[in-house]
This record gives sequence, C-alpha cells and structure tokens, in this order.
Amino acid sequence: MPVTPRLNQTLFVIYLLATVGVFIAALVSPPVRAIAYAPLRDLILPPPEPVVVHVLYSTEKAAWINEAAARFAAARPAIEGRPIQLEMKKMGSREMYLSVLDGTEQPDLMSTASMLQINLLQDLSTSKFGAPVVNPADSEACRPVLRTPLVLVAWKERAAALWGNDPGSELWQQLHDALTQPNGWEAYGHPEWGYVKFSHTNPLKSNSGFQTILLLTYDYFGKTDGLTSADILSDADYQRWFIEFEGTISSFGDSTGTYMEEIVAYGPSLHDMVAVYEATAIEHAESAVGRYGELQIYYPPATHMSDHPFCVLQADWVTPEEAQAARMFVDFLTGREMQELALLQHGFRPVDDGIPLDQPGSPLQRYAANGIRIDLPPEVEVPPGNVLNTLLDFWARNAQR
Amino acid sequence: MNRDFCRRFVVLVALSILVAGCGQLPLLGGKAVTVSIYYGSEKQAWLEPLVEEYNAQKNKTAEGSTIVVEATPMGSIESANAIIAGEIQPTVWSPASSVYVPVANAGWRGSEHAEDLVVGKPEDLVLSPVVIAMWRPMAEALGWPDEPLGWADIAEMATSEEGWAAYGYPEWGSFKLGHTHPNHSNSGIVSIIAETYAGAGKQRDLTLEDLQDAGVKAFVADVESSIIHYGRSTGFFATKMFERGPSYLSAAVLYENLIVAQESERLAGRSSQLPVVAIYPKEGTFWSNHPYAILNAPWVTAEQKVAAEDFLAFLLDRPQQLAALEYGFRPADPSIPLSAPLDAAHGVDANQPQTVLEVPSAQVIAGIEVLWREVKKPVDLVVAMDVSGSMGGKKIASARSSLIEFINLLDDRDRLQIILFSDELIALTDLSPLGEKREDVLRRVSGIVEGGDTRLYDAVQMAYDELRASGDPQHIRAVVVLSDGKDTASTMSLSGLMTEIGNLSEGGSATKVFTIAFGSGADFNVLQQIAEPTGGKQYEGDPDTIHQVYAEIATFF
Repeated sequence: MPVTPRLNQTLFVIYLLATVGVFIAALVSPPVRAIAYAPLRDLILPPPEPVVVHVLYSTEKAAWINEAAARFAAARPAIEGRPIQLEMKKMGSREMYLSVLDGTEQPDLMSTASMLQINLLQDLSTSKFGAPVVNPADSEACRPVLRTPLVLVAWKERAAALWGNDPGSELWQQLHDALTQPNGWEAYGHPEWGYVKFSHTNPLKSNSGFQTILLLTYDYFGKTDGLTSADILSDADYQRWFIEFEGTISSFGDSTGTYMEEIVAYGPSLHDMVAVYEATAIEHAESAVGRYGELQIYYPPATHMSDHPFCVLQADWVTPEEAQAARMFVDFLTGREMQELALLQHGFRPVDDGIPLDQPGSPLQRYAANGIRIDLPPEVEVPPGNVLNTLLDFWARNAQR
Repeated sequence: MNRDFCRRFVVLVALSILVAGCGQLPLLGGKAVTVSIYYGSEKQAWLEPLVEEYNAQKNKTAEGSTIVVEATPMGSIESANAIIAGEIQPTVWSPASSVYVPVANAGWRGSEHAEDLVVGKPEDLVLSPVVIAMWRPMAEALGWPDEPLGWADIAEMATSEEGWAAYGYPEWGSFKLGHTHPNHSNSGIVSIIAETYAGAGKQRDLTLEDLQDAGVKAFVADVESSIIHYGRSTGFFATKMFERGPSYLSAAVLYENLIVAQESERLAGRSSQLPVVAIYPKEGTFWSNHPYAILNAPWVTAEQKVAAEDFLAFLLDRPQQLAALEYGFRPADPSIPLSAPLDAAHGVDANQPQTVLEVPSAQVIAGIEVLWREVKKPVDLVVAMDVSGSMGGKKIASARSSLIEFINLLDDRDRLQIILFSDELIALTDLSPLGEKREDVLRRVSGIVEGGDTRLYDAVQMAYDELRASGDPQHIRAVVVLSDGKDTASTMSLSGLMTEIGNLSEGGSATKVFTIAFGSGADFNVLQQIAEPTGGKQYEGDPDTIHQVYAEIATFF
C-alpha cells in the first residue's frame, strides 16, 4: 500500500490518541495503573502509604501467627485506603519486655507467652518512663488469644523406664530424685543412657522456664497459692532442694520454641525430659517420631496457663492508625477461623470457649496415647510482682549458668 | 536535514525507552556487601555448592547491595586462633562444634576485648555425632554390634601386646588409631576430652583435680600409645583411612557424616575398601553442630550482619537441609526425618548416640590440653636438610629460622636428629630427647652454612637407617627432608632408596617421610615419590612460606 501524506497523518493521529488515552487511563483507573509503566506512575500519583504495624511475638506461637499474618494480608486489609502491613519479629518473652524497656525495640503490638511478663512490664515501665506502656486491665488494649498449660515432655522410651505409671502428685519429687541419682540411669536399669537429663529454659529470658521454677517452688511447699518472699528466702531445706535440682541442668535454653526444636533435632542423648508448653509438645510430636521416637507428656500436679496476651502499646511511637490496625489484627486472631486453626493445626487451647476441644481432628484427642488430655490440673496463683522478683533473683544468684 | 534530525530523534527516544524500561541495569547496579565465612572443612561438600547457588541468586540487602558470600574451609581451632590473632577478619565463623566456643571467647577477651567474640547461641547448621570409625570386621571381632564399645575397649586394644592376633587376625598387626591434633582440630580436642572423661569414669563435672589423677593420665597415655600420627583436619584422616585400608589404620575418631560419605562411595562402586562402621562410645560422646556464629567483632558492619542472616536463612531452608541429609548429616531442621543414608547399610545408627558428655569449662579444657602434651605419643624425628651450595642467601637463612621455629613446636620428650647433606652427610645431633639438648641444638642450627653437592638419596637413607636402628616402635617415627635441588652425588640410587623405604610391613606405624621441595630448582617429582608411599606428604616451600610448611608438618606430631 503506498504511503501517502494523508495515511501518514492518520497513523500519527491514531498513535497520538492511543498514547494519550493510555496515559489518562493510567491516571484514572487502578487496574491499568497497576500494570502501567511504574516510575512514571509513581512520579505523578504515588501509592498510598501503608500502615506498618510492628509486632513482637514469643517463639512458641511462630507457626500459627505467621500463618495468621499471611491470611490477614491476603484479605488486603486497609484503613482509609492505606494498606496494613505487618512486620513480624519473634523473641523470647522476657527478652521482649526488657528490650521495650531499654528502647531497642519499639513495637506497636506485642505478645509474650503470658501475663507474667506484661504485668512486670507495666510495673517497670511506669517506674522508668513515668507512665506504663501496656495496660493489662484494659480489655480493649490487652487481649488473651491462646491458652496452653506447662507440661513435662519426655522421650517415651526413657520415661517408661523411669515412671512405670504416671507419677501424679509425686512428679517433682520423683524427678528430683532421678536427677540427683549418683549413678544416673543405671539405677533404672539403663547404664548406657548416662545421667537422667532434664532441662528448661532460662527463667530470666523465657516464660516457660519461669513457670517451671514457680511450679517447683509451690510444689515443694505443698500449696497452690500464697507464696511469699519469706518462703523462698528463709527456708534452708527448700533452698538446698532447689539448688540440687537446678544444679543437674548443664545448660538452659533461651526460648521455648527454639529450645523444643533442639530437643527433637538432637534426641534423647542430650535431653531425656524437658518442661515446655502443651502446644509446643503437640507441634513437634510428629517430627519427634521421624527423628528418634514418640514423646510422652506428663501434667504436673498443678500447672500455670500461658494465655498469650496481645497488647497494643501506649507510647508515642504508636500512631492512632497503627493502634487501630493492630486491634484489627487481634480481632482476626480471636475470630473463629484463627481460633480453630490454633487448636486443630497447632495444639493451642482457644480462648473462644465455644470451640469444642474434643471435636474431630483435635490434637488433644489425637495424642491421647502420648499422655495428652483435655481436663487440666488446677492452676497455681500468680504471686505478686515482688515475690516473682525474689524467685528470679534467687535463681539468678544460685542456679544460673 | 529534517530527515536526519527525525532519524536521530527517533533513535534517541527509542534508546531512552529501552533504558528506562530496563529498570536497574546490573552493570550500573553498584554496591556489593561481602559476607566472609571461615568454616570447619567437614561440611565443605555440602556448603560449597550452596555458596555458589546463593551467590548466583544475587540477593540484595534493604539498601540495595548485592550479597556476595566468600567461604573458606579451615580447621576449627586454627581459625579461632587466627581470628584472635587478627590474622583473619571474617563476618561469620562456623567451627565444627560449639565445644571450643568458650575457649575462643576466653582467648578473645584475653586479647583486650571487653565483650565475647561469640554472643548468644548461634544457630546450628547441621549435626553429626563424634564417633570412632572402625573397619567392620574389626568391630565385629570386638563384639559389635551386640556389645557396647567405647574408649575402655580402645585403651585395652592399644596396650595389648598381641594386637589383633588375640582375635584371630594376626595379619592386621597391632591396633592403630588416628585422631587429629587437639591444637588444630575440633575432633582432636574432643577425642582427648572424651579420653579424659573415660579415664576419670565420669560423664560430667570434670575438674582440675581429676586431671592430676595418675589413673586418668595413664588411661589417656594408653589410648594415645596406639596413635600412628596426628594431623590437621578430620577430613584428612578420613581420606587416609579410606584410601589406605585396615593395615594403615584400625580406627579413627571421625564424624558420623564422613562414614556415611565413604559407605555411599563404596555402595556406588567407587571404593573397593572393606565396609566401615561407626562406634558410638558407650561412655558418651559429643555432637558436632556446626554453629553459624556471626561475630561480635569491630570489623563486622550492620549491613554485613543482615546479609549474613539472610545467608543463614537460606542454609536453614528445607531444600538445603534435605541436601545435608544426602551428605550424611543429621539436618538441624527437626521436621526432617532421619532416613537413608543414615542407616545400617551405611554403617551408622540413627538411634545413637545414647548419651553425651558435658562440655567442660574453658579452664578444664586448657588443663586437658596440658595433660595431653605430657602423655601424648612422642615423635622420633630425623630432619635431613640440604646445605648444598645452591642453598645460599635467603634460602639458607629462612631454612635455618624456620627449623628453629619447628624445633620449638616439639616437646621435650620428642627425639630429634638433624642430618645436613651436601657432599657429606653430617649428623648435627643424634636421635635423643630434645629436653636434654634443646638449647644446644638451637645454637648448632643457627650456625648452619651452605656449600657443596647434593647427596639427597644418601641423606634420606641415613635418616631412615637411623630410625630403624634407634627409633622406638612405640613412638611416631618420621623423617623430614628439605632440599632445593636434584641429587648430584649420592651413592644410593633412587630406586634403591624406594625399595628400602617402601617396605610398609608395619602399616600405618611405619616411618613416615615428609619432603619439602624448597624453591623452583627442587626435584618435585622425586620428593613426591619419596614421601607418598610412606603415608607422609610432600610440600612446596620458599623462603617466604617455609615457616608455614614446618608449622603444618608439626601438626602430625
């Protein structure tokens, strides 16, 4: 076809219209904008700034919360057109509140394993900053999201040699005796296993370790409430018993979740038994079989529940939008979908009482043969802050390694 | 002119669209951040390909710098010492195990640093227990797998006069053990700690008092009496054992993964050796856990730290952890089951070990090293040094000074003879313990001068004869030959010499010859031929590197 001046002109006009049309469409229509030429688009109309929520969470809920964060993000949540972005970081419970106190972390939302640390943070931040950064009494700001008791988890083969039947109320005393046996496992017919090796996390860094020494102490005194500083500081027999017990432990883990991974990875040569959360034991029950064998769970005669509070911080680095976005995330976490996920996939007891614990697929039933059970032992009372500090301090001075 | 202008304009527009559309051109990309890693060489086969794979991905930090990983294998203890001495400044240190970390921290603080070098608990990359690797027929002769075996059995075999003859296998000769040098390698230090625990009958709470006990010392001495030589790296021992077979070594202290690797080779038809099995010492053992320690050192920048964490996340990712299983490691990721090749077909038992030994304090570990020095197997060593005319100037000076350094690495119980060869063979000192004559020997060495021909073969022959006549079969026996040129004047021929020293009826306990080809005029081929069959090693050296060469040879003793 010959190229005439008229054809030239026509082609030029069509091309010009097309170019201008695409340009306007890119400005006006979001789907077109999303695929249009990026740098140019950003120069003319920058995208809305996201609301970034910094979340600190304790390690044992990592699997569940990362899944929750992904599902939350997939729904494209937004506040007035601004997309909500979650930045997740995991950390041991006590380390978490200490780092908020010293300023190395400035989260918008934080979740330790239990209220123990939130209460301590409230006290300590009031002394340090003049006002508390968390308010556990405010049910809008601080909400429990999951529940799980402290249990003892052992390699089944080893526990069977130690405890023919469930030791019940004798658990801590029998454990103390096993750990302090001069000949170790030889006393139970297995010299090849060396010493009976039990461990827990460092109470100065992690909630489960703190709970363990609290339960040990309460059990020694034969009570479940009214623990005083005088009990800890004035009773020489208790002190000797406690130091003997803790002295058999050669190293303490930093954080429950990562600690349990080590236990399963290395096997019984390193630890015969540990104190962790019921949910942590459930989480690793399958992996354990692939590595070294079945786990066996024992419930102490009295336990303490970790209720995984999610607290929106009150601090100048938390904007109203960030606080709102954080509350939206917590709403999502306490919603039916995530609560069922927590139970069925991760072994946590939901805070939502409407969810049956014995439904089909519930790990609380699936692992019954491993000692998991639905009904729980009674809980100990959480002593006031000063008694908690006395216990921690005593441990730090006499048992820390 | 219009047309020209139009054409250029179009070209210009087209070009600018191309450039803008391409976004970040890699050529113009710019910054890179380097993560340098020094790591225990046992994981080289697993790690090296992963470093390449990661680098090819061109991962970037938040600042947009491309992350480049540079990884160098090095003995665990050696790298610790090099970091403390400031000789290397890596971002990440990944020794074979955490056992040595407290000692490294103590050394770091000792050199004027306020904080630890390794803080917190570094993540494990892969796991492998320390085992005693033994040829399966030999292990079976001792009662494996029904009888639990351990250091007590090794100590008994080591001191048995009849050796394997007591089990009906006189052809295997005496019991021969190998483990690396505790000053250089993790498996070496772990071996002597385990021996000490076994001698004390303990599995924890090892104290300095225990180290004073005569029974403990005797036990360690007994085990060490079966050593054929020490060495620099665990992988090196594995290679030697699997290349040379049961007459060279009965057993060696290795990591489980090295046995799996060898058995995989054998099952694939690439090795025709006997099968080898892992003995998990009944007294308890240690784990090698390959911690990835991002160093708390002044030379590590915040950006390097972030980049190093990214590479760590890559290594801990499932595909990389599954790859580790193929190499015989137990993955650090607990969700990966222990399956083939961690099985009986490959000589190992994934249900083992049954128990571990507690890591002693840095102080006690230091005490164990001192104890070992006192009871380790001494060496009967003849150094044959070329002092022919060509050795003048820098060569003779560096050969002298490095020999002096080498002598200072030997213990008082080691017996040293020095032969100087030119057209004459002169014994500078006879084969007698250094303790009595150290100062005298050092003085004589400082006075060495060059001149004359090169009677290399005669010198080696003389050294060898000396050890045959006066060497103690209970000692490590070795010859170190340094020469800068070809043999010009020997009465003995090379083939005659080879016949003499090639007689290896004693297997791994036979005299070892180490040769140093000094400078470019040296006869590399001949020196290699002399060293190789005896189980020794040939080195190349020059005035600048000769000190390092001697230092490495010292790791065998």
